[in-house]
Amino acid sequence: MTATLAPVGPAASGQTWTCPFCPLLCDGYTLDASRPALVDSACPTAAAALAHFGAAPLAATALVGGRVGGQVVDAEQALAAAADILAASRQPLFAGLATDVAGMRALYRLANDCGAILDHVRGDALMHSTRALQDRGVFYTTLAEIRNRADLVLCLGTNPAAHYPEFFRRCAPAADAVQGREIVFLGARAAAGVAGLEGCSTEEIPLAGDLFDTVALLGARLAGRRVGEVPPVLEALVTRMQAARYTVIVWESASLPAHGALIAEGIQRLVNTLNRSTRAAAFCCGGGDGGYTANQVLTWLSGLPLRSGVHARGLVHEPLRYATDRLLADGAVDALLWVSSFGPELVPPATALPRVVLGHPGLGARLAPREGQDGGQGATVFIPVSTPGIGAAGHLFRADGGVVVPLAPIHDDPLPTVAEVAAALCARLARRRAIAGGAQ
Amino acid sequence: MSTLRLRGGRIVDPANGIDGDLGDLCVRDGRIVELPAAEAVDHEYDVSGMVVMAGGIDLHSHIGGGKVNLARMLLPEDHRINRRSDNPLELASAGCCTPGTLATGYRYAEMGYTAAFEPAMAVSNARHAHLEMGDTPILDHGAYVMLGNEEVFLRMLAEGQDVERVRDYVGWAINATRAMGVKVVNPGGISAFKFNQRKLDVDQDHVHWRITPRQVVQTLARAVHELGVPHPLHIHASNLGVPGNVDSTLATMDALEGLPGHLTHLQFHSYGTEGSRKFSSAARRLAEEVNARPNISIDVGQIIFGQTVTASGDTMRQHANADLGSPRKWIGADIECDAGCGVVPFRYREQSYVNALQWAIGLELFLLVDDPWRVVLTTDHPNGGPFTSYPHLIRLLMDKSFRDEQLAKLHPEVAANAELREIRRELSLYEIAIMTRAAPARLLGLTDRGQLGVGAAADIAVYREDADREAMFTTPEYVFKDGALVARRGRIEATPVGGTHYVEPEFDRGIERSLARYSEAHLALSYRHATISRDELCSCANGGALLPCRLHGRAERPA
Repeated sequence: MTATLAPVGPAASGQTWTCPFCPLLCDGYTLDASRPALVDSACPTAAAALAHFGAAPLAATALVGGRVGGQVVDAEQALAAAADILAASRQPLFAGLATDVAGMRALYRLANDCGAILDHVRGDALMHSTRALQDRGVFYTTLAEIRNRADLVLCLGTNPAAHYPEFFRRCAPAADAVQGREIVFLGARAAAGVAGLEGCSTEEIPLAGDLFDTVALLGARLAGRRVGEVPPVLEALVTRMQAARYTVIVWESASLPAHGALIAEGIQRLVNTLNRSTRAAAFCCGGGDGGYTANQVLTWLSGLPLRSGVHARGLVHEPLRYATDRLLADGAVDALLWVSSFGPELVPPATALPRVVLGHPGLGARLAPREGQDGGQGATVFIPVSTPGIGAAGHLFRADGGVVVPLAPIHDDPLPTVAEVAAALCARLARRRAIAGGAQ
Repeated sequence: MSTLRLRGGRIVDPANGIDGDLGDLCVRDGRIVELPAAEAVDHEYDVSGMVVMAGGIDLHSHIGGGKVNLARMLLPEDHRINRRSDNPLELASAGCCTPGTLATGYRYAEMGYTAAFEPAMAVSNARHAHLEMGDTPILDHGAYVMLGNEEVFLRMLAEGQDVERVRDYVGWAINATRAMGVKVVNPGGISAFKFNQRKLDVDQDHVHWRITPRQVVQTLARAVHELGVPHPLHIHASNLGVPGNVDSTLATMDALEGLPGHLTHLQFHSYGTEGSRKFSSAARRLAEEVNARPNISIDVGQIIFGQTVTASGDTMRQHANADLGSPRKWIGADIECDAGCGVVPFRYREQSYVNALQWAIGLELFLLVDDPWRVVLTTDHPNGGPFTSYPHLIRLLMDKSFRDEQLAKLHPEVAANAELREIRRELSLYEIAIMTRAAPARLLGLTDRGQLGVGAAADIAVYREDADREAMFTTPEYVFKDGALVARRGRIEATPVGGTHYVEPEFDRGIERSLARYSEAHLALSYRHATISRDELCSCANGGALLPCRLHGRAERPA
């Protein structure tokens, strides 16, 4: 990550825009909708995502078929085929779930109709933070608090700018901030030339062992416990954290190894210890591709977070067992509904199961062709959907959890939204139930 | 056009002075009307032997927004034990202390409630709060925006800006967040905790901004009053849960200088320091003050024994209480230079001296305040206990012998010494109807709710008479929302989308220039997203009705 993110030009022409392509949801930059491209940010994430869209709405058609290539069908035929797959399934999995609030609202209703299990494409990373929260809790902070308060930012095992390119600009110190800011990269490279670091001192400190060891060591020393050999730089870091007015520990759930929830718990311990004498908080970079949105909406509707299933006996929450890969490997599900509305790159996992794919128009061509029968094993239905923030309005949750940012379309899109497709599928399933009920 | 008639019920409608008169109640197109006895109706219900009241209104219940959802995430154990309803109208939704929004709507409606208000909506979390409330079926809803801890407000106060300008800011904030009122939580204290201050008394300086909670309360109460917002400033006072906090509670009442103020979950602010344990009830002292001050209204925040979770914006006090939590885990947050959040699970135990006394203090407040129009029945859901315990609470208030039985089970020192033992008062159905419908409607400025007069919205609960008031209030025979039957004998019959109550006070839009500058320099959201438009509110609220509330001293504005 060496690209400079300084403004590349004045916002001579363009419109204010909210970027849906990473959970920072930058809403302060300008879009040249004719390309489309950001004018005053060189964010590579946004640039790569925008490359999948044109100045005009993308043309796309639904595809149905198990056979190689798939067959172009109209929207009604696609919905009928998708309803066939869901109606025939005894245990469907709704996964991907890269959508907005409205999409999740409608998908939950559909999940109730089908008895589905729900997981997100970033489920593994989300579970690191979710499980730590369920077991220990969390003390977190938000972008504006970091801007105004943080005098020590400790980036733990990650340089957030690598995957969240505008991170440091979004939380850059307020112009009238009284104190300076030190940014410490612990076990991560401090990239030069990243916008938002002006006026901050930066430093790299190596891990002492792995991330588990380092967090444990910091925890012990902050709590005043004597532990064997502590590298002097870490000892000095502990002293700086204790002296800082507001330490923010930045971490990234997707960069953690297996059992990363234990690191998340360790970070929470660091913050709790510091908060007994000074002030500190954590900031977790994560929740992209609508991950936090899916988790928030599912939690408020059902009471339980992602990796829950709506079963006949009730809701079941299984943070490990209901992982997409594991469910597919175990043969525990018999159909897949895959949702990926932000781009063509999140393709569904390899499976021979019947699948319904609601996706960016470009996703259809990326679906691996496979052998199979219409409606049966190997069947595929692809329904292109609109992207929130490009072709449709919407709402997404920002990385810091509580801020919901509205998205506005940059052009009128003839494609339906995920919410519209899910509602149409609900209506079809209800009609089938009514007909089946009437026939009995 | 659809009509219905409830025939022969005992009508308890305190807003219209009706106390148990036998009569018919008629409805046309969702409104209460007078119909000739002979006129045929689409649906007729024989409700003889039953009590007919307006739908219940909960003016303080944490039903939606960031901290409620965090509470759900923190306690999967509260939600794991669940069974799918056999009712196809109900989507799966679990939880007892903090049920999912869907279950929240179903359980409230089954209990005869037709509206609930989220009392702690952070400015930066307003969209989230409206989204969750929009997914709470059947109930009408609204929220109070939390002010008094935003850096921009404290800065204005510290700079000594004109009261008119601060009032414009408050008017802007109410409009921007589509709020129904204003709540202040630990005035200045949430911000002070961000600056590592651990205690903030009413006349103590905020370490950074050098302003006091007294100034915050005074300024906000005045602004809310002058803007014509019907609901008085909703106040979560300083020092929640601290022994001896009765003094700061009284000082907070004084800070109002006669302006209207609603002190919420007063139970948590009614503690003395007498006795060997330095923890005592100050309920009588506070009740006498409330009786003597007509500008004050309260809700109680009764605690109910068992597991719950406390979700509050009061980071300072929740951090201090986190070590007392059970199970031992908690969530805290510093939020966007405008708010904070603390979520701490609690298990209230009968054999705990402190919990037993808290229980007694709550009931003492209910029973010692003379005017039921100024006391609203709440448990501060979920902080004192879940809203589903209201029928139990109603029985405690209406039945002295039941109350005594419960008291006898508690920590022996409380059972033997609580002043509650000596209080003989048993509330009547009329008084319960005031505390659960008529008073909250009046305190919120809802002129056509909480009552059954001609023209009122047909939000109606019909209860089968039962000497066991807990059983009676748990399962009403019929519940109507805007004239539609939504629950019958504890079973959901329809799930309409509820409406959103909010106010639109006028303010000088000149304030926006400086707010935009402040936002640019200090915040992390573009100022163009600071305000929720009516259209956006509608989409957040799932297409439910928008119910702008009339301001004091102004003609009704078109919706």
